Formats: sequence, structure tokens, C-alpha cells
Amino acid sequence: MAAQIASTRSLSVGAGSAGIVATALLLLGLGAMIFAPRVVGEYGTEIGFRALIYLTLAEAWNLLAGYGGLVSLGSSSFVGIGAYILMGMLNAGGFGIVTALTASGLGAAALAIMVSPAVFRLRGLYFTVGTLALGEALRLFMINVSYFGGATGIFLKSNPPPTEVLYVYAVALAGIATLVMEIYTGTRFSILLRSVRDDEDAASQVGVRAFRVKLLAFAVASLLMGAAGGLQALKLGAIEPYGMFGLQWSIDTLSIVIIGGLGVRFGPIVGTIFVIALAEALADYPELHLAMTGVILILVIRFAPKGLCGLGQDVCRLLIGRWDRPGMPRAGGALP
Amino acid sequence: MKPGEDVTSASDRILLRAAGLTKRYGGVVAIDHVDLTLRSGEVCGIIGPNGAGKSTLVGLLGGALSPTAGRIHFDGSEVTSLPASERARRGIGRTYQIPRPFLDMTVEENLLVAQYSLSPLVGTRAAYAQCRSVLERTGLADAAKMPARALPLLRRKRLEVARALALRPKLLLLDEVGAGLIDAEVTELIGLIHSLVKEIPTIVIIEHVIRLVRECCQRLVVLDFGRQLAQGLTSQVLESDEVAAVYLGTGHGSLKAGPSERASSARARLAQGGQRAGSLAGMVGAGEPKASGAAMPLLRLEAISAAYGQAKALNGIDLVVEAGQAIAILGSNGAGKTTLAKVISGAIKPSSGCMLLNGEDVTGRSAHVLAARGIAHCMEGRRIFQPLTVEENLLIAARGVSAIEQRRRLEEMYLLFPALAERKAASGTAISGGQQQMLAIARALMAKPRLVIFDEISLGLSPIVVDRIYQALGELRAAGLTMLIVEQDMDRVLDLVDYVHVLEHGSFALSGSPPEVKANPRLRHLYIGAAD
Repeated sequence: MAAQIASTRSLSVGAGSAGIVATALLLLGLGAMIFAPRVVGEYGTEIGFRALIYLTLAEAWNLLAGYGGLVSLGSSSFVGIGAYILMGMLNAGGFGIVTALTASGLGAAALAIMVSPAVFRLRGLYFTVGTLALGEALRLFMINVSYFGGATGIFLKSNPPPTEVLYVYAVALAGIATLVMEIYTGTRFSILLRSVRDDEDAASQVGVRAFRVKLLAFAVASLLMGAAGGLQALKLGAIEPYGMFGLQWSIDTLSIVIIGGLGVRFGPIVGTIFVIALAEALADYPELHLAMTGVILILVIRFAPKGLCGLGQDVCRLLIGRWDRPGMPRAGGALP
Repeated sequence: MKPGEDVTSASDRILLRAAGLTKRYGGVVAIDHVDLTLRSGEVCGIIGPNGAGKSTLVGLLGGALSPTAGRIHFDGSEVTSLPASERARRGIGRTYQIPRPFLDMTVEENLLVAQYSLSPLVGTRAAYAQCRSVLERTGLADAAKMPARALPLLRRKRLEVARALALRPKLLLLDEVGAGLIDAEVTELIGLIHSLVKEIPTIVIIEHVIRLVRECCQRLVVLDFGRQLAQGLTSQVLESDEVAAVYLGTGHGSLKAGPSERASSARARLAQGGQRAGSLAGMVGAGEPKASGAAMPLLRLEAISAAYGQAKALNGIDLVVEAGQAIAILGSNGAGKTTLAKVISGAIKPSSGCMLLNGEDVTGRSAHVLAARGIAHCMEGRRIFQPLTVEENLLIAARGVSAIEQRRRLEEMYLLFPALAERKAASGTAISGGQQQMLAIARALMAKPRLVIFDEISLGLSPIVVDRIYQALGELRAAGLTMLIVEQDMDRVLDLVDYVHVLEHGSFALSGSPPEVKANPRLRHLYIGAAD
């Protein structure tokens, strides 16, 4: 029974004492990764940077979709806004990188707050389509406004910092994302957020101000996404709307979380490792990579709705709890 | 007893005052200029037939719906334009007639939502302690760590009450929490409500279970067609002939009438029903040999057992259903009735035993395979497809047949339940509870099944609607439909069926023809359950 309860809790709350220990280990691991470039060399550092950016985005998206039920296809809007803000500030001069990254995040959060009255009117699939439209609209806007560099984009006037330095920023950002998620999902915020996910009307009926609860999650997630976008722009040194506001950001983030485990605390990290490893393994066969990702997504959605993490949990439960499984009814089963 | 006449033992402090409340859905008026005054210290019942607007009224008071006209004052200020969340924070708690728990959260977390939303800084220990006490009072303490999704319908109803209590409301609106409970459970619920009176200033009970209303409410308001038909002291209202006519249908006595009187009038209705049977003959699975001695039984279960994990729900069930027969499965809550229904329709796979349909072994086949073989299941809780209209809900059960045939079956259904024809373009769940049940029955029939399983079709319906539904069943029976009826409401079923099985702890404890079973002294014991 205890094992059952523990697994149910870690599945639904994602925290608990085991969760805190695991998160501490994760943070330690991230800390240790700061020293990784000395071991893995230039190429390894590049991959590490990419993985950390994806991890940040996936953590943020998991908060929205997994815990809040807000399945957004608008990640690219916030990545893009973050990127443009950072470039603008660094080119204007007089700002440090940390200040610019913070501004990227805050700018993205401000955008989220601005659009929330419109997109929160939409629920379920309509919300998804609304956020998709937001990303596309911003991209078209950026292409057509010459002040922001139009279709050519913006170049960084100064030299970007070396990869090792960027990598440390990425470790810090992923660490912040992990910490934020730990606080968000391990505390009472998560209970309110999940109640809105499960039934917004019923949640209102017990006093939950659904709009505010969703807005906070949306703003926090967008802040992380904006900062990740800023860091990515700094790495590139040159940005243009097609890349920074590209749908690819939204799709990649979504696939990582779904493969890792939607609404599962460690889904994003598992998903990131898997997706990056797959991309590296199939780096020479881009078409095959795309096809494989599609097939894996289909298989995961069909056979492991809680992703690789959920699959792992199920296997563990089967192994550990074989002899002391209580007679809990299956989902949807009726045992009056 | 004119509207507006005040008869209450409660204090003079008015907690809620609704004036001229009106709600229109397009052309349909669900609530029509209702005035309602609720005082501190009273328990007020709202009764009326299905479709009278009771649930709409709860929605309007709770803030889920906004009124077309009228004003609501609560606890000294106007709340008409406030959203549901703000009204909940001011102390209006409600339950949903069809439970809507937060499915992917544990039962305990379901309650914590209310506490954390009201006082985000409450101590964790205090919050959990309050949760525990509410769960104990509502009989859910053992399920605290279970995901709400794992709870069956009746326990979800308890969770609805528990969640509303976690809000510590000043006004509690209970929407049909007594439906489907056996006597012992109703007694328990009455005890709970009596104990709540000390903590919750005002309770409104919307209910069809008359015993609950009679024992808990000081005052009753009767709604019909969205209007306030009468109000007054409970005893006076229940004795009024006018109310009885609306609520039970003409031809019934007052609400005090015993079940035997009701049963006899139901029998009279069945006799009338036979006249329309001819037109419904087409609904019965075509080309089937109708109950001849040589034919094998339509359905045969041999030593069927089923379990949820380690918990056995069915234990060696043998059942034979001949074509054209109507068989009732009775039993208290938890006896295994719904599980049996689900095993037959394929929603649950039996753990042992075998099931033969027309001689063919169909043990463990999936629900869609069995549906294609002619078994239709009208499930407990109605399970209407909310995004689809009434007509689409019906058509979904008749895919793969020609458009002409679909049309024909639809017309037959509309003939059987004219109320559905009027609302055919409405969303499947925007219609009243009684109409939803009719829709569920009609949907099961649209597939032109050989065997229909009706699971708890009278749950949560007013007597007049139950009569109408049983009248329809009588017509179907006369037309030769084979049916298996899973029920709580014993009186009506016994008049309809050929044979009765009573389940207890997963096996048949009593079987026989209706008169035999009725006469058996064990019936009462079995039916009231182990609680006594």
C-alpha cells in the first residue's frame, strides 16, 4: 500500500521527500556540469548548451501543459521576444549580459500578461490554436517591421562570449528553471493549478480564481522561455524572425515533454536526454531523424501517455509492488 | 400556501435574497421570475419534476450561470455580477448533480484546493487535519490518497459533498446528493446534514428522495416549468394535492402514498403501453428467432467471476437470458450489479467463467465486438456525449446503416420519447436530467440491439419521469425486446420483468419470479444490505 501511495503521489504531485532528494541530486548534477567542458571538449560543450536550453524550455512547457492543462504552441513567441530584447539591449550598449537576460525573461512575461485576457478566453484546443496564431503573428510582424531588422534580422555588434562562458549561463538558467519548478510543483500552487487543469468550472466553484492561477503559471513559464531565447540569441550572434519565431521551438519543446512524460516532474529531463541523444545518434541522417521522432511520438502517445518516466514508474511499480498490491479499481472501473 | 408567505422557524437574518431571477437559453425559459429568500439557520428544500429548473437555480445562485434578469443579494451585498470563484469565497458552496471531481488528483488534494484557495497561508498541518475531519464525516477517510478517478459514481457524490464542505460555506447547495442511495445510506446522509446544521447557517437541498427532504428541511419550495409553484412548511407542501399532481403525475395520491399504490398505477400504465408496442416492434433486433422452445438462450453466463485487483466483485454468476425475456438484477450498493452489467457488455473482462451469446463463446471479447453482436448497454450515469447534439448522440449508435434506416430509427425514438424531438438540436447535456436519461435509453436502442442492459435508469429522476421511462420500457417489452434491468427502485421493476435475481456480495442470493421474490422474507434483509 505504501509503495502504491508513494508512486501515486510522486506521479501526481511530483514532489514529496523523494522528489526533493531527487531534485537536490539534479541540481548537484547541474552544478557538476559546470566543469564538464574541461572533459568533453568543444563539441560536447555545444551539445550540452543545446540540451540545457531545451531543458529550460521543456520545464517551462511542462508547467503550462502538464500541470496547468494549457497546451501551448506559442513557445516560439516567447523565445523570439527574449532573443530580440537581448540583442537590442546589448547592441544599445551599457547593459551586462545578466541584466539583458533578465530583461528578456521579464519582456516575455510581460507579453504573456498582455495576451492573457485574449488567449485565456479560449479553452482546450482553442487555446492551443490561439497561441499558435500568436507565434505566427509575431513572426510576420517582425519580418515586416524594418526597425527590428525585418527579414534579415539583427547582428550582435560586439563579439559573443566564448562557448564555455555561455555554457555556464545555460547551467545557471536550467538550475533556476529546476528550482522554480520544484517550488511550483511541490507546493500548494500546484494543487490550485492542477484543479484548474482538471475542471476549471468546478475549481471556480470552490473559490479558485482560475484566471490568476493560470496567469501566474503562464507568466512564469514565459519568463523562463524568454530568458532561454535570449541566451540562444547570444550564442548565435545573429538572429532573424524565421529562426527565432520559428514553429520548430514550439514543436521541439512539445515533443521533449511528451516523450519524457507530460505532467511528470522529471519528464523534461528524461525527454531532453532522449531527444538530444537521438539527434546526435542520427546527426548524419536528418530525414531518418525526423521520421524516427515522429514514430516515437506516436508510440509514446499511444502506449505510454505518461511518457518514458511514466513507463519507468509503471515498470518499477510492477516489480516492487507485485506482492502487496491493494485491490484498487482500475481507472474508470466501478466498485460500488 | 401562496408564494411569498413566510413560514419558517429560522432567525430573521436574511442570508440570501434573490428577486425576479430569470434564465433563458435561447427560447427556452429555464427559470422564470423566481423569488427566493433564505434565512440564517434554515434548511430549505427545493423539489420539482426533472426539467423544472432546479439545477439551473443552483447554477444561478452559485455563479456558474449568469441570470438573464433579476438580482441576488448574499450576506449583505449584491453578488449578481460576481463570478463563481468570488461567490465561493464569500461562502456559497455547491455540489454538482453529476459529480465533477478533479479526476487526476487524490481525494485529499480535491479538498485542499478549497482550503488553499481561500487561505493560501494556512498551516499545512491544519489544512490536512481539516481535510481528514471532513473525509471522516463523509465516509471517505479510507480513500484519501486514492486518485478521484478511481472512485465509483456514488463515492464521487460523497466527494462532491466533502469538497463543498472543505470550503466551510455559509450557504451550502446540495444538488441531488441522495440519488441512488439505499435506505441505510440515506439515513447516514440525513445524520450528516443534521450535524452540519450547527456549523453551516443555511443549507439548500435539491432532492427527489422525499424521505431526505421530509426529515431535513423545515421549508420547501416547489418549482415547475421554472416557476415557483408553492412554498411553505415541509409537511404542508408534501400534503398538498396540487404539488403531488405536478410532482408525481396525476392519478397519484399525495407524496405520502405508499409504494404499493404507486405500483398499481404503474401497472395500469403498462397495460396502456401495449397499444403502442406494435409501432416499436421494428426496434427489436431484426430476424432473430423470438423465444421458441428449441432455440438456445440468447445469453448464457456460466460461473462468471470478476475482480478489481484483489477485490472480488462477482463470484460465480450463472445467468440465462432467453430471447424476449425481461430480467431484473437487484441488490444493494456494492453488491456487484454494475460490474455484472459491465461484464456482459464487455467493458470489464471476467477473471473466470464463460459467456455465450446465441451459443457462440464471447468470453473476454471487447465492448465494440459485443456491441456489434447486438448487446447495448445503457450505462449508469447516462454518459451523454457533451459536445454532440441530442440527434448526433443518437446517430452515433447507428453508424454503418443507410441514411433512410437511420431516419426511420430516429423517428421511432422520437415517437417513444417526444421530449427528445423537441430538443434534438440542443447539446446533449444542456437538456434536463430526465431528458438525458431518455436520450441514454434511446441511444442504446438506436443500435437495434438484441439485448439491452439498463443500468440504474431511474437514478436521480422525479417519480413522474421514472413513470414515463418505465412506461417506455413496458412498450419495448411488449414489442419483444430482451432486456436486463439493473435497478435500485424495486417496486417498478417487479411489475415489468419475468424473472428477478438479487445480488449480494457478488453472487445471486435470491432468484425467482417477481411474486416469489416479493414474498420472500429474505428480500428485505438482502436489499437493505449488510448495514442493518
